[in-house]
Amino acid sequence: MPEGEAETVADAVRLEQFKGNVVAPAELLSLQPGRVTGLVGHPGFGLTRLGLTMLASREQLGPVAYLDVRGWLSPPAAWEAGVSPESLVVVRCDDPVRWARVAAHLLEGVSAVYAEVPTRMKPAQLHKLVALARNRKTPLVLRPLQGDLPSGMAHLRLEARRVIWEGAGYGHGRLTTRRLVFAASGKAMRGMVRLIEVEDDGTNAMRLVSGLAAAPSGRATG
Amino acid sequence: MPPADPCQAVDDNNIVVAVNRGAVVAGIQVGMRRREAEAVCPTVMTIEHDPGAEMARFERVAVAVETQIPRIEVVVPGLILAPVTGAVRYFGGEDPLIDRIAKEIDAVTGPGFRLGLAAGPFAARRAAELATDGDPVLIVEDDDAFRDSLDVATLNSEDMAAVFRWLGISTLGELAALPREAVVSRFGTDGLRAHRLACGEDRDTSDRVIADDLSIEERFDPPLENLEQVAFVARSIANQLLSAPALDGSIPHRIEIEAEAADGAVRTRTWRSADPFDERMLGERVRWQLQAWLDTARMRSGPGIRGGLIRLRIMPADLSDRGRQLALDEDAQSSAEAQRAFAQAQAIAGNDEVLQAIPQGGRDPGERALWYRWGEAPPAPERDPRAPWPGQIPAPLPALVPPDPYPLEVEWDDGIPTRIRLGSRWVEVLSWAGPWRKVGRWWDGEHPADRYQLVTSAGAFLCAVVSGKTYLTGVYD
Repeated sequence: MPEGEAETVADAVRLEQFKGNVVAPAELLSLQPGRVTGLVGHPGFGLTRLGLTMLASREQLGPVAYLDVRGWLSPPAAWEAGVSPESLVVVRCDDPVRWARVAAHLLEGVSAVYAEVPTRMKPAQLHKLVALARNRKTPLVLRPLQGDLPSGMAHLRLEARRVIWEGAGYGHGRLTTRRLVFAASGKAMRGMVRLIEVEDDGTNAMRLVSGLAAAPSGRATG
Repeated sequence: MPPADPCQAVDDNNIVVAVNRGAVVAGIQVGMRRREAEAVCPTVMTIEHDPGAEMARFERVAVAVETQIPRIEVVVPGLILAPVTGAVRYFGGEDPLIDRIAKEIDAVTGPGFRLGLAAGPFAARRAAELATDGDPVLIVEDDDAFRDSLDVATLNSEDMAAVFRWLGISTLGELAALPREAVVSRFGTDGLRAHRLACGEDRDTSDRVIADDLSIEERFDPPLENLEQVAFVARSIANQLLSAPALDGSIPHRIEIEAEAADGAVRTRTWRSADPFDERMLGERVRWQLQAWLDTARMRSGPGIRGGLIRLRIMPADLSDRGRQLALDEDAQSSAEAQRAFAQAQAIAGNDEVLQAIPQGGRDPGERALWYRWGEAPPAPERDPRAPWPGQIPAPLPALVPPDPYPLEVEWDDGIPTRIRLGSRWVEVLSWAGPWRKVGRWWDGEHPADRYQLVTSAGAFLCAVVSGKTYLTGVYD
């Protein structure tokens, strides 16, 4: 990774002292009962790994489910993230109608659900699921495969902004560590957009390396 | 094959679980590892342990015994317990009854069976094991003396038996003479079970008062004939039964399976277990029994279920007030809810779409997980995950792996990747690692592959170059 990029990110993520009227930093990577977390971004930005880390925080309470629309999930990555093989159940379903029914049943019984949202999913269906998750107090992570979630749906919305890999050179080395930058928003952040930086060395659970920093305000008009 | 030729059955862990007479003569014992057994007798024939198929073969024996004693209980395929008090009175003694049963079994299987008659299932089973080829029937006259003379190894716990011997206790009689509190404080639950068996308490005597009808019944239209459907139904009904509020946390030691065939015939069979049934055990027994009935009807080797299954009813009995032993952090309610949720997901998405995986060895990320259906026992890994696997892709592993390699457009400049195409745009390669060479199974027509980790501003990707073409094999998402 070019060294300049790390500095750019460090500049972008302005570290500030965390003030406690929003969700605590440690809670960002764990799931809360009945809360919906939205993960938005293209494949490659580390969102699956982040979601699996979140599931790992709930596995001691019972089995966790991964609703796999593409059929691409690789279980070794889940085991690396801390989800044990006995606790992880993968349900594959790409049909939007059946997907909603399957997701509803999973929310009724398991301790946490990570669901990839198929394209052309109706917002009303998603709202029903979110209501069910709140009612059953089951944490739900939604990962739309295209576009975004309807606004106001996620208690915490994490949008991938940047990923920086370390370890690989030009034909030598190997991928070792990555730093992921997310924009966190939603009710959990009291309506503010803040940048967070997460470090992932692959073999341990992810950890938050920055505090929460307000995003640059940009140009003001008026 | 002739019975004299050595033959063994091995389970998923390659442990010998059954042997024939030829194998015993050759020195093979149940519990050996497969390689150990093959070292002792290189000509031994090995077959995989398949309880469903075994029950289908054993069903004829169960039917033969049932002609003499109406309410038999199957423990596992190959072992039947039969309460004989009423039959002994009817036939005028133990000897006439045993003669009739032996004749019936002999007509079905030929020689090789064993019969034991004693007070209680534990002693009767040991008596059958002690019977010989020359005298296949052992009727115990003095039950207490017989039980007291049994070796501690009959408790089926080698570790515990070794400690007992070290303490100078070699028979169950000596074990029964010890104070129960002392045994329990030293050996815990296993010690309590051993002491109970040594004292002849192998039936649960503390039944609680239970509701009248705890049975679960399901009807099927169209009739079930497929083993896959049967397996699904077995799991579902086991879940329903054990999560029924009427059971109130108690767990059955005995279940009665009643099935109605499309031609109107009703079949009934009772299964028993020394330990209370859990969902997996119960589902397995129901599946084995239904498979046996369907197979015997298909092969026309006995009165099975012809034309498919239209009704299934499971009745629990011998409820244990001890309930099921849960792990420290296990919550029975949430566990049952999770089981139900997955069963319903399976019903909607399909049997093959609700999956779990276990680690196994391999060089590519996709090879390092062995998938199996949720609700089934995990299979044995095909490749040892602890082996070094030189050339394997190092951790961290990609979170997304396409089921089949996905063609990827990569621009190369003198062997160096410069750009890759993601959707409609080209993205510059910032850095890259590799290649890791994989020779592949050339004997299976697999070509060698060079695997690269490519890093772009849109993330990192794992790709493989095979015969000059590049394929996406993983996304570090």
